[in-house]
Amino acid sequence: MKILIIEDEKELVKSMAQYLRQESYVCEIAYSAREAKEKITVFEYDCILLDINLPDGNGLQLLEMLKEAGKTDGVIIITAKNSLEDRVQGLNLGADDYLSKPFYLPELSARVSAVIRRKQFEGNTRLAFHEINVDLLGRTVSVNNNFIDLTRKEYNLLIFLLSNKNRVASKNAIAEHLSGDDAELLDKFDFIYSHIKNLKKKLTEGGANDYIKTVYGLGYKFGL
Amino acid sequence: MRLLQLSLRTLLVYSLILVILSIPVSLFSIREILNEEVDENLEVQASQFLDHIKGFTYLDDLETDLEVLDQLSYNIHIKPSDGHHEQSHFETITVFDSLEQENHPFRQLSSSVDIKGKPYMLTIQMSLVDNDQLVLVISLVQTALIVLLIAGLLFINRSLSRKIWKPFYATLNQLKAYELDKSKTIEPEITNIIEFDDLNKTVSSLTDRTRKVYLEQKEFIENASHELQTPLAIFHGKLDLLMQSPTLSEADAATLSELESTAKRMSRLNKNLLLLSKIDNEQFIDKEEVDLDKLVLDLLTNLRPVAELDHIPIAYNASVCMLNCSRALIEVLLTNLFHNAIRHNIPHGKVVVELKEQTLQVSNTCPPLKMSPEKMFERFSKENGSINSTGLGLSIVRKICDTCGYELNYNYKDAMHHFIVRF
Repeated sequence: MKILIIEDEKELVKSMAQYLRQESYVCEIAYSAREAKEKITVFEYDCILLDINLPDGNGLQLLEMLKEAGKTDGVIIITAKNSLEDRVQGLNLGADDYLSKPFYLPELSARVSAVIRRKQFEGNTRLAFHEINVDLLGRTVSVNNNFIDLTRKEYNLLIFLLSNKNRVASKNAIAEHLSGDDAELLDKFDFIYSHIKNLKKKLTEGGANDYIKTVYGLGYKFGL
Repeated sequence: MRLLQLSLRTLLVYSLILVILSIPVSLFSIREILNEEVDENLEVQASQFLDHIKGFTYLDDLETDLEVLDQLSYNIHIKPSDGHHEQSHFETITVFDSLEQENHPFRQLSSSVDIKGKPYMLTIQMSLVDNDQLVLVISLVQTALIVLLIAGLLFINRSLSRKIWKPFYATLNQLKAYELDKSKTIEPEITNIIEFDDLNKTVSSLTDRTRKVYLEQKEFIENASHELQTPLAIFHGKLDLLMQSPTLSEADAATLSELESTAKRMSRLNKNLLLLSKIDNEQFIDKEEVDLDKLVLDLLTNLRPVAELDHIPIAYNASVCMLNCSRALIEVLLTNLFHNAIRHNIPHGKVVVELKEQTLQVSNTCPPLKMSPEKMFERFSKENGSINSTGLGLSIVRKICDTCGYELNYNYKDAMHHFIVRF
């Protein structure tokens, strides 16, 4: 999987690339619109992370260029301007998702994998991790071909954790992913704990190994 | 009291005093002039009379003639005197008129004369204008003057205040209607009166300057919030990376978690500040038909699981309500009201949302406020140091209501806080 990060803030790029590489994505970086243009015209990417405010141009112009050239690369717009017009304009221009700064890296990873999955839908609508199988179209989960019944929140939680395999997803990141803006009401993380507990229980009862590890004080990690 | 009324009052008092004072003064001076005139006449008459008498050289029985004259003439009296020489002098006397049954004032000249060697006393009288009449006439004239003066002043005052003060009141009304965050500039009309033009110029430059400072400040807040987003994103990213380290001790993990929560709080503050300045800058102009009932239902469905963690049930009395507004803004408004009601609640309390006839009421159980309700809507006013609250939620609610022209009310009744928005 090849990802292009177009962003002029070097430290941010470093963190993003480092985190995404752990998911075995290949990350290329463009620090300016000019650099990005060169790369876009020559290579194909599975996902492009596009900052709108670039020192030498507007990211939306790059997006336009990309769509005019008939490229099918998935695009996630990243911006400090959490403005509605930008969001609407970006999505109208054919962006696949929109993420406003600041964001959690696990959230970024989840969005990237969602975009990539969507782009590959024709052949692959399944997400697998050992004995766990997720049908993304039917939104069903099976363990060793036995369906297990998950609530919407538990399903979302599983996808989120699967997108961040072998990495720690903090309680804050999980809370925001599950509840959006409503997460700010939660000063306790009891509800995440109960969702995790239920998901764990359903998976192990279904015959799966216990992949969800509690990382004490921080959050949770999905992996062997 | 209006400025013109004040000056009018002073003018009126001054002219009234002047007119009243002028009555005795003019009476006295007219009297003097009249007396002088009459005295001159009397003198001329007396000298003519004496000249005449001197012309008569042959009259031996002048004495008899003079006596007859004295008897016949009404105005001239001549009587033999005892020879005691008296200086001729004028005086004013009053004579009773038996015909009209009243007193009349007369001016009289008494003079000792020698006729043919014999001393006589010559008295000539002349009728004067009646004093009472004079007073009456003068008073009448002055009263008319006062009436005309007052009427004139009032009339001039009214037309002046209408005409001359018009630009002043126009500027004043513009100033009254001026709102720093809404009105553009004050555009006064050009008058030809130096003071008003001066005033208008000063008002214009003052409001322009204030507005400029205000806009700069607003821009600053927006820019500052924007610029903070990227460093915050870097901070968040580094924290997320640090968490992946396999060698973290438990204490480090706890510190990291706290750092992340703090960073989260910072982002939220920043986002809310940005939102406030965006509402200020009227960046939510796209209006559409919004089904409020459906929107409330959707938001509450998402919120219920969160509220249930604190055992706070949310009741909703629905009714149909369609709004033509910015969907994004109304969503922010509702979310902030609901969050407020859930956050500031007691364990096992409740939240009641009621939609009725273009009015939304959000009520929550909570002990009464310690601060004033007005202060509650101000930025960063928090009653308890709740870490999770940014202190901006309700001020965003008020800002949205102000911008959209909704009426926002608050009251505390039956141990519940009620927030009422009338659309």
